[in-house]
Amino acid sequence: MSRSEAINQTLAYFDRTSGGYFDDLAKLCAIPTESQNPARLPEMRQYLAEVMVPRFEAMGYGCKVYENPVAGCGPVLLATRIEDPALPTILCYGHGDVVLGMEGRWDNGRDPWKLSFEGDKVYGRGVVDNKGQHLVHIAALKAIIAKRGKLGFNHKFLIEMGEENGSKGLKEIVEANTADFAADAFFASDGPRTEMSKPNITLGNRGCINFNLVVDLREGGHHSGNWGGLLANPGIILAHALSTIVDEHGKILVDGWRPEVPTHVREVLVGLDREAGPGAPVIDDAWGEPGFSRMEKVSAFNSFEVLAYTTGTPERPVNAIPPKARATCQLRYVHGTDEANLIANLRRHLDAKGFGNVRIDPPPASNDGRFFASRTDPRHPWAKWMKSAVERGSNHPCGVLPNSGGSNMTHIIQFILKAPIAWFPLSYAGCSQHAPNEHMLKPLMREGMRHVTGIYWDLGDPESAYRP
Amino acid sequence: MAAAFAYYDDEAGGYFKDLAAAVAVPTESQHAAGLPHMRRYLDGLMAPTLTPLGYECRVYDNPVEGAGPVLLASRVEDPSLPTMLCYGHGDVVMGMEGRWQNGRDPWRLSFEGEKVYGRGTADNKGQHLLHIAALRTVLETRGKLGFNHKLCIEMGEENGSRGFREVIQAHRADFAADAFFSSDGPRTVRERPNITLGNRGGCQFDLIVDLRDGGHHSGNWGGLLANPGIILAHAIASITDAKGRILIDAWRPPLPDWVRELVKDAKRDSGANAPEIDEDWGEPGLAPMEKVVGWNSFEVLAFTTGTPERPVNAIPPKAQARCALRFVVGTKAEDILPSLRRHLDARGFQNVEIRTPPGANPIRFGASRTDPNHPFVKWVRGALDRAAGAPCDVLPNSGGSNVTEIIGTELGIPYIWLPLSYTGCSQHAPDEHILKPLMREGLGHLTSIYWDLGDEQDGYRK
Repeated sequence: MSRSEAINQTLAYFDRTSGGYFDDLAKLCAIPTESQNPARLPEMRQYLAEVMVPRFEAMGYGCKVYENPVAGCGPVLLATRIEDPALPTILCYGHGDVVLGMEGRWDNGRDPWKLSFEGDKVYGRGVVDNKGQHLVHIAALKAIIAKRGKLGFNHKFLIEMGEENGSKGLKEIVEANTADFAADAFFASDGPRTEMSKPNITLGNRGCINFNLVVDLREGGHHSGNWGGLLANPGIILAHALSTIVDEHGKILVDGWRPEVPTHVREVLVGLDREAGPGAPVIDDAWGEPGFSRMEKVSAFNSFEVLAYTTGTPERPVNAIPPKARATCQLRYVHGTDEANLIANLRRHLDAKGFGNVRIDPPPASNDGRFFASRTDPRHPWAKWMKSAVERGSNHPCGVLPNSGGSNMTHIIQFILKAPIAWFPLSYAGCSQHAPNEHMLKPLMREGMRHVTGIYWDLGDPESAYRP
Repeated sequence: MAAAFAYYDDEAGGYFKDLAAAVAVPTESQHAAGLPHMRRYLDGLMAPTLTPLGYECRVYDNPVEGAGPVLLASRVEDPSLPTMLCYGHGDVVMGMEGRWQNGRDPWRLSFEGEKVYGRGTADNKGQHLLHIAALRTVLETRGKLGFNHKLCIEMGEENGSRGFREVIQAHRADFAADAFFSSDGPRTVRERPNITLGNRGGCQFDLIVDLRDGGHHSGNWGGLLANPGIILAHAIASITDAKGRILIDAWRPPLPDWVRELVKDAKRDSGANAPEIDEDWGEPGLAPMEKVVGWNSFEVLAFTTGTPERPVNAIPPKAQARCALRFVVGTKAEDILPSLRRHLDARGFQNVEIRTPPGANPIRFGASRTDPNHPFVKWVRGALDRAAGAPCDVLPNSGGSNVTEIIGTELGIPYIWLPLSYTGCSQHAPDEHILKPLMREGLGHLTSIYWDLGDEQDGYRK
């Protein structure tokens, strides 16, 4: 029995035109598990009960579904296969929920809930984010069990149904059941590779905090002729306040928002770049922290965004000094930033600059996701083991990203379960994952299948296994 | 004078009957539905009123599609006498039906104590009807005016006076006059009459930062893609400081000593529900009235980026702000936008585009200000002082914008406004009204001034 035989089996499954990976994926994608749509709560249960639990049970996993303590949010599945308490336990993760289908906005009349095969691309909501990726893991694990008769390690598979809605309740569920979720290491797939043509592991994520900046001076607008020069203009004041937070090239100016970049983080980022594939926006290299490489800007530093700004009545401007201006802002921040004092530091900054009249308010409820930063040290044995496992099955060196630029639930795993993290993303940045026309590249996902199967094989092989 | 007041006080058959007929025509110029009423106002009300007074009436079609016509009524008694031009506008802002208190109908007069409510009572129907009343009184009493007079009524003031300049340009000889004397808007302070010698100009423009198509995930791309909202905020922050002080040299006008002298101690009524003035806003060292009358002000009227009603975690592709500069005489209007371009370029904001709002001229209205030492100003001041029995105030210009510069530039004449309303009159809001005693006082002043104008001894001679 060998690594390559297991890989051949999963690749055959991937390539099969009937009864293979894409038939299974089609069943997963047919369930419209939109977590941003409260009406879809029944589909969340359906996804776990109909397409996940039977699959895991057939593979010898015990399944437990945890109700979400947050009203209106979907349940969480934990599938557990303990072969020997003496062996290490690996935790995998997937999310069965998707962003909104955006029906009618897909090109070529594509139906988000059906797979469309067009050349190397397979379209459908969730094909990469994340149904297609956790299905790869399930297929790889199944092949190992079939070929070897066992995994050779203990395994837990967590499927949540609310990632696209801020993973509400997941932290509470894990905290209340730490023994159930406990593991020695975390290995899962989501999101895009940083460079389309090279594999990489990602050891964490940026945190994310949204907030509103509000300048609310008075009731109602006042004629700009009669009053112009006498009444402070909130749109001008807010523009000035924003201009003190970052310079005109996006460099952050707030004390406490500028993290130190550890040498070992800089080192692993050397040589990594962003390769997003066709259709990606042109990168503004003059933007962001001066002197930093692209990947240092995304993985080693913080970024501040004005997500939205409004004053007056932009749809029909009138000749009035507006009474109020509001900007919804966001800080994405890396591990090492003083995350307990993000808002306090901004308050101090604004006050020091004379902007006591700029209020910091909570973000709108529709966009109030709060994520914390995480990062496993690239020198951690798990990171090193994963890198070499990927490299055994690849012609390329495996890139190590200290963390992704985006935000997710990784901090729950790192800080509550205290497990080291390795994400192994299987998609690419041009995959339109949150837009119409979400798609996978078949060759890329096939390569991912090969890697994931090889990694699980090595994990259970006494010769190469990871020993915490 | 007695005849004028008799007309005003005769509520059944005098001024308020005429005003009620004028208010009943819903001449809203801010939407297309008002257009048919424009001609009705001129042909049905103005011409029949003015023709019996010996005025020759001519209606000019507006060259701008959808904009109302302009009436010119002329009474020439003797070409050797001076010719006065008066102006009124027969259009009004939207009626805002249903938003008036006490169930008032904007198109009918409501008499409540000293107040008379109705759309256009103050802005401007009630004011130009007072001029007509004063002129009629002088005519009937003296048998002639003693000067030549032209009355111009436009029907698009509340919609930017589109086409007004073009009409005058095409018919300069028809509109030619020696001086301009009209009424619109509120007095600076309610208790004392004032003349206003001009207005601030208004220049509107959009600032646009358009970087790319579509939003991009702020996690994957945050730090790599320039944020247009941040760039535009910086560009705006370079135009004024955080307290509204203008930082573009070409936008900082000369402030003549005489203007400072006239307004430094001037008070102004703020009207009911007036906002509290921000003393530390605007040009440092200037008194409040100097800021409004003697200086320019820059405003962000509207700003948008992203989807403010439902923000998403994406770097927005585009940001846009509607901005305006109110500017006084001495500012080079034609250089407002070029100097802004130079200012932005010098600060690295080449990616901030300056664009004229759709369907508008960047300079909607020019700035105007008659020299206070002009003989006509001195004459009207004297006449008003005589009429009021006390020295009146002189405002070099109002803070708002109107047609004054068009009159001054196209006809080359001095201009004077004598506002008859007060700041609390809600002129652009529900519950627009006049104060009966104030308008009566205004009628007295107008009658006295027009009487003196035609007097062989006291009359104004160019």
